[in-house]
Amino acid sequence: MTTLGLLAGPPYSAGPESYRDHVARLGARPAGNRALIDTLDRSGLVGRGGASFPVGIKWKSVQSRSRGDAVVIANGAEGEPLSRKDQTLMALRPHLVIDGALLAADAVRANRILLYVGEAHASSLAAMSRALAERPAADVRRLVLLPAPASYVAGEATAAVHFVNAGIATPTATPPRPYESGVDGKPTLVQNVESLAHAALIARNGDGWFRSLGRNEAAGTVLLTVSGAVAKPGVVEVPCGSTIDEVLALAGGVRGTARAVLLGGYFGGWISARQAGTILLDPKALPAAGGSLGCGIVSVLDEAADPLEVSARIMQHLANESAAQCGPCFFGLKSLSTATSRLAARRPDDGDLPHLHRWTAMVKGRGACRHPDGAVAFLQSALKVFESEFAAASGTRGRKAS
Amino acid sequence: MNNTILWYTTRGAGTVSLVLLSTVVVLGVLSSLRFESSSWPRFLTTGLHRNVALTTLVFLALHIVTAVVDPFTHLGWLAALVPFSSYYRTFWLGLGVIAFELLIAISVTSLARGLIGHSAWRAIHWLTYASWPVAVLHGFGTGTDTWSAWMLAIDLVCILAVAVAVSARLIARPPDPLAADRARFRERVTRKVTR
Repeated sequence: MTTLGLLAGPPYSAGPESYRDHVARLGARPAGNRALIDTLDRSGLVGRGGASFPVGIKWKSVQSRSRGDAVVIANGAEGEPLSRKDQTLMALRPHLVIDGALLAADAVRANRILLYVGEAHASSLAAMSRALAERPAADVRRLVLLPAPASYVAGEATAAVHFVNAGIATPTATPPRPYESGVDGKPTLVQNVESLAHAALIARNGDGWFRSLGRNEAAGTVLLTVSGAVAKPGVVEVPCGSTIDEVLALAGGVRGTARAVLLGGYFGGWISARQAGTILLDPKALPAAGGSLGCGIVSVLDEAADPLEVSARIMQHLANESAAQCGPCFFGLKSLSTATSRLAARRPDDGDLPHLHRWTAMVKGRGACRHPDGAVAFLQSALKVFESEFAAASGTRGRKAS
Repeated sequence: MNNTILWYTTRGAGTVSLVLLSTVVVLGVLSSLRFESSSWPRFLTTGLHRNVALTTLVFLALHIVTAVVDPFTHLGWLAALVPFSSYYRTFWLGLGVIAFELLIAISVTSLARGLIGHSAWRAIHWLTYASWPVAVLHGFGTGTDTWSAWMLAIDLVCILAVAVAVSARLIARPPDPLAADRARFRERVTRKVTR
């Protein structure tokens, strides 16, 4: 695998890297300042939490509002069921994440850092808390480890802020956005842990180094969680701009025949296997191609599996994870999920399939957060990629609608 | 253009605006009451509220523009923009200007709700309760047709409809169909935070 990047250094089997080893391998943490923000800008690093927002711009928007009282939330909640990359990173390179968080705090002039780590991710929590104990007292004073509730939306930026402020991990209406008014009303940087770890390496090696890691005009590397019908599922680090075929080869190749690939996660989308192979995994270019790298999920569906059943299960999960704050999200996702499940069971009500098409348009953009939009985008990709399966299921004679 | 047509248009568009605005207020109250029935889904209320509101602005624009350009009135644009600056029925016309400008604020903030945030939008939307009565008074005070039986009937229906809706809003606590589910979810993601 890669020799440069986040997972360079000791192998997986060595467990979490100690502070001494970390400093010996990479050197002391450089300065976090305005120049670092410019370096990040030039590096082309975009957020790895799902939205692919440019990291430099985000830091700048907090830095310009901070009066030395900003807050950094290192987001390792990782509520996406298919994702393992944040857990793996924190369990193996906790000090890289903490370095990134400290650099961010210095650069945006923050005096508090919250390490927001999914409570279900035991090995990550253990590694992070051990890592804190190894750190110099000056670092530890600013750092707090905060277990995040295990739920899909807990990692959403406003939900993380709401959790810190009120102990309730539900998204809140925007504006104000966290960079305007977050923890205790202070400008708050909510940044995914992988993005922070990249920043820690860019601070040491420069923006040119980071760009040179990428391929096909993309910058840097990215952590991916490969799952489904592959020989060796797990987390891999690849240069941005690699093809899906290359990623699947790293994961030992496809077991059986691939039917489709889920890219990005539950809020990502299906791509048919015929088109997937040559797609470039570039977080910046993918949105233009109608896709999204999301939080780095590559999950293979083989021909033996039922795509409708898998899609229905994902829709059901997303519907259950609605925080029940906005009607269109709560009721809309429930209706979409129920209709999809009936189609997957090949016992549809009259009009289920046309309803899916109509309702997806009605739910989009009507939540306080993007949860319904993500679910709808996923379902729309399923309707497109598995069009013939849905049509066949819809044609099945089912019970009459009452 | 024929002056008489302009004058009739001003009066007609004003009356239509009153009816539409009252409808918008009633629909707004109904949506905050979460009114629904098997033949009237909730999104119908909010959709109508929005569309009728935008239609109201069209008729208001017609009402104002025809009044200003009517050579018989000599109102001028200033009188349409600055309250109580009109030589003609200074007070009553000024009320109309105020009601209109409040509506503009309410409409613009509604269109820009995503930018200004929910709480700011809501605060400004309360101005509706100022705009509507001021508009009704403006109609009474300056309306050419105020004391005709049909206009009185229209006024009466509008006032009654809004009064009934607002009373219902004051009496009934709007049911929140999500309360139980939200409470259940919140319990799942609530922790005691020490920081």
